[in-house]
Amino acid sequence: MNGYNLAQPERSAHGIYMQRLGCLATLFLACALSCLASSDPQPLQRGEELQTTDNEVGRYGGNLVVAQRSEPKTLNPVTAADAPSREVIGRLMADLIHINRASQQTEPALVKSWSMSKDGRVFTVKLRHGVRFSDGQPFDADDVVFSFQVYLDEKVHSPQRDLLVAGGKPVEVQKIDQYTVRFTLAQPYAAAERIFDSLAMMPRHLLEKSYAEGKFAQAWTLNTSPAEVAGLGPFRMKEYVAGQRIVLERNPYYWKADRNKNRLPYLDELIFLFVGNEDAQVLRFQAGDTDVISRVSAENYALLSKEAPSRGFELFDLGPSLEYNFLVFNLNDLKSRNLDKIANKQAWFEDLKFRQAVSSAIDRDDIVKLVYAGRGVPLWGNVSPSNKFWVDQALPHPSRSLEGARKQLKAAGFSWRGDGQLMDHQGQPVEFSIIASSSNAQRMKMATIIQDDLSKLGMNVHVVPLEFRALLDRVFQTYDYEASIMALGGGDADPNPELNVWLSSGGTHLWHLGEPKPATDWEAQIDQLMQKQMVELKYSRRKHLYDQVQELIGQNLPCVFLATPNILVGAKKNVANFRPAILEPNTLWNVEQLYFRQAGASGSGAAR
Amino acid sequence: MKYLERRVIHGILLLIGVSVLCFLFSDLAPGSFFDEMKLNPQISSETVAALRSQYGLDKPLPVRYARWVESVLGGEWGYSFAYNSSVRSLLVVRARNTLLLTTLATLFSWLVAVPLGVWISNHPGKWYDRLSMGGTSLLLSVPELVLVFGLLYFAIRTHALPVGGMTSVGFDQLGLWGKTIDLVTHLIVPVTTLVLASLPVLVRHVRASMVEVLKLPFIQAARGHGIGPARLLFRYALPAAGNPLISLFGLSVAGLLSGSLLVEVITGWPGIGPLLLEASMSRDLYVVVGAVMSSTLFMVFGSLLADVMLVVVDPRIRVE
Repeated sequence: MNGYNLAQPERSAHGIYMQRLGCLATLFLACALSCLASSDPQPLQRGEELQTTDNEVGRYGGNLVVAQRSEPKTLNPVTAADAPSREVIGRLMADLIHINRASQQTEPALVKSWSMSKDGRVFTVKLRHGVRFSDGQPFDADDVVFSFQVYLDEKVHSPQRDLLVAGGKPVEVQKIDQYTVRFTLAQPYAAAERIFDSLAMMPRHLLEKSYAEGKFAQAWTLNTSPAEVAGLGPFRMKEYVAGQRIVLERNPYYWKADRNKNRLPYLDELIFLFVGNEDAQVLRFQAGDTDVISRVSAENYALLSKEAPSRGFELFDLGPSLEYNFLVFNLNDLKSRNLDKIANKQAWFEDLKFRQAVSSAIDRDDIVKLVYAGRGVPLWGNVSPSNKFWVDQALPHPSRSLEGARKQLKAAGFSWRGDGQLMDHQGQPVEFSIIASSSNAQRMKMATIIQDDLSKLGMNVHVVPLEFRALLDRVFQTYDYEASIMALGGGDADPNPELNVWLSSGGTHLWHLGEPKPATDWEAQIDQLMQKQMVELKYSRRKHLYDQVQELIGQNLPCVFLATPNILVGAKKNVANFRPAILEPNTLWNVEQLYFRQAGASGSGAAR
Repeated sequence: MKYLERRVIHGILLLIGVSVLCFLFSDLAPGSFFDEMKLNPQISSETVAALRSQYGLDKPLPVRYARWVESVLGGEWGYSFAYNSSVRSLLVVRARNTLLLTTLATLFSWLVAVPLGVWISNHPGKWYDRLSMGGTSLLLSVPELVLVFGLLYFAIRTHALPVGGMTSVGFDQLGLWGKTIDLVTHLIVPVTTLVLASLPVLVRHVRASMVEVLKLPFIQAARGHGIGPARLLFRYALPAAGNPLISLFGLSVAGLLSGSLLVEVITGWPGIGPLLLEASMSRDLYVVVGAVMSSTLFMVFGSLLADVMLVVVDPRIRVE
C-alpha cells in the first residue's frame, strides 16, 4: 500500500474534492439507473395521490403463472382486437375510469374525481397528481389528450373510436390544465363514464413520433424492446418468447397502494403461458405449471373438482355469465340474392306464432343439463340473471310446452301429415337447417337438442356444422342460411354496448342486417326506446325503458334465447385476494392485489 | 449438370405454382380476418370495412398477389393482419423451433431405423424379425394423436416430464447445463412421438430394400468368399440398397417443416404448427401462405438434396 501511495502524484484539496464529487455523482447515477431498471416498488413520493385499495394486506414476491389459449398479437392498445392481446394489455395499461368487475360499477382510476354538467354533455375529469408511467416519466393531461387524439383519428381505424362517437360526432377533448381534462359530447350519453373503461392511456413521449409518422399501427408489436413500452398498469413488459410466454414484471411506479401504504402490486412477475386449448390448459393446471385457470368447461370443472382437495387448488362457480346463446332465423331481405329456397321458408320464420312454437318446444333445462352439466341457467331474454342492475325480473319464463307449441302452429295454419310431419298451409313439409360453429362443441350440442325437440313437433331440422368464419360469412355477408345458433354479450353489463344489436340499423342486428328503416312496428318501438335510454341520465328511468325493450324482445322473439353458462374458474389455494368476477377479465381484474400466502409458492420469486 | 439445372427449374416452377394455388384457395375460403369484429356490437360495420380496405383485402386477387410477390422479393414474406408485423419475423423464430424438433426426430429415426432394418433383413423369419415387423405394424396402426396423448398421460401421472412447451418459466435464470437439461426434457415427448410415428415406415423400407439386395448374386458371391456379416451388410449391401432410401431421406427433409404440425399443437411446441393453425382459423392470409411456402421450399430443397445424393451415389443417373 505504501508503495502505491508513494507512486501517486500529489493532489490538491480541490482535486480531492472534485474526485469525491465525481465519485458521489457516479454513485448517484448508478443508484438512479438501478432504480429505473429495478422493478422493486418505489418509495411513495410527496404529493403523489395514490389510490388506496381495501384488500387484505399481502406480502411481496412470487411469480403468478396463467395460461392463455393463444399468444397476444400486439401490445398496441389501439390495434389490439383479440382477447389474449387485450388481456395482457389490460395488465400493462390503465384507464381513467374503471368498471369494478366485482361491483359492476364505475370507480375512479387515473382520475381522482369526475363531474358531469347538468345537461349530461360535458364531462370534466381531475387526474391524480404524481402518477408516473412504468418508465418513470410523469403522466398528465397531455398524455390523455394524445391518447384520445389517437383513438379518434379516422386514419388509425381504431375499433374504440365507435365508442367515442355520440350523436354522430366524436367526443371533443380539451386540456384545461396539467391535471384537468374536459370531454364534450354532442348529445347526453347515459353512463358516459363507462366508455372510459379499458381505454388505455398511452405515453405521449414514447408514441408521439410513430403517430406523427403515420406508423402508429406498427408501434408496440411483440418485437418492440420492453424498454420502449411503458404504461400505467400494475405490470410492465419484461420478456416475450415467441410462441411460448410473455413475462411481465412489477411496475415500480404503480399508482395503487394497500391500506398500509405498500405500493402494489405484490407479485414480482406475471407470466402468461401460451397453451393452445382448454384441455391442455387443464393438464398444465393439474401439473402445477399454472396458478390460475379461467373459463373452464363444465366437464373439465367436474374433472378438476375430483382432484382439487389433493392437489391444493380451489375451484369457483361464479354463476351465470353475461353471454347469451340464441337461435336466430334468417329474416334478411333476400330479394336481390339468388336464395329462393331460403326466401320461401322465410314465410314461416317471419310468423311470430312459428317462432313462439319453436321457443315453446325447446327444452332449455335439457340444454343446461346436457350442455353445461347443470352449470348454467336457461334464458328467456337477452339479459342474464347475473346482470343484476339491468335484468327485467318481470319477464315471463314460460315452461316448455309441446302442446302449447302445437296449438300455436295450428293457429298459424300449419297441419300434420299422417306420418307426423309438419306441413305449412301450402302443403310444403317444414324442413330447415341450423348452422353452428363446428369448433364450439357446446353450441353443436345445443343444435342437436333443438333438432330433437323440434322433431317432436314434426319439423325436420338438419344440423350443419360450419367452421366459425364460414358461419360468420353466411350470417353477415351472403345470408345463405336458414337458422343459426350464436352467442353475444359477455362484455359490459350496461345496455349501451348492445345498441348495434337492437337498433334496426345496427351492424349486429343479426336477424335482419342493414334495415333501411325498421321492418316491423316493434322494431321501431325498440329503436325509440334504445335511443331514449341512451340519452337518459337517470338510472331508474333508463331501467324502465330497457325493461320495455326486454319485454318487446321477449314477446316478438327475433332470437329464441337458450341458455348461458356459468363462469367456472380455479386457482391454487395459496393465491390470496383471489376474487374472480363474472365480468371479463374474470380472474386477473385485481391482479395487483394478488399475493402468495407462502414464500416461493410459484415460480422463482421469494417473499421479502 | 443439366439434370440438376432441370430439377432447380422444376423447383422454382413448383414454388410459383404453389403460391398461386395458395392465393386462389385462400380467396375461395369464406370469411376474412376482420369478420370476427362484426360480432362485436361496439364496432361499427364502417370501421370493419375501413380496416379491410387499409389492409388491401378489398383489392382484386391479382393485385394482392402482385403485392405479396413484391413483399417476398423485399424479404418480408407478406404482412400479418393479426400481429401487425412482417410474416418473415413470425416464421423465422418458429421455423427454428420446428427445425430443432424435426431434425432431432429425423436423426433419431434414421439412427434407429437403419441398423434395425439392416439387422432384421439379414434374418428374415426369425423371431426378432417377426417381433420387429409386428411392432412396426402396431405403430403404423396407432395414430400420432394417440401416441402423443399416451406420452402426455405418462408425463402428467409420473411428473417425470414436462407436459408441454419448449422451456420452463425460469429458463433464463438457469445455467448452460440447466438450460440443456430443461430443453432436453421438454423435447422428449414430441421427439419420441415423431420418432415412433416415422420409425415403422423407415424400418420397413430399409428392410425391404436390403432383403432385395441380399438376394443378388454379388452378395451371395461375397458371402461365399467368407466376408463377415457386418462388412457384408454395411459395406456392400447397404450402398446397393441406397437409392430408394436416399429418396426417402429426401422426403423426410421435405417434411421437416410440416411433419410435426399436429404434435406441436398438442404439446404446445412453439413451432410453425400452432402459428399455422391459428392463422388458418383467423384467416391471417399471408401467414398461412408464408407457412405453406416455407414448407414447399423445404420440399424443393429436400428433393434437390436427394437428387444430388443420387447423382453422387448412382453413376447410372449421371449417364442418363
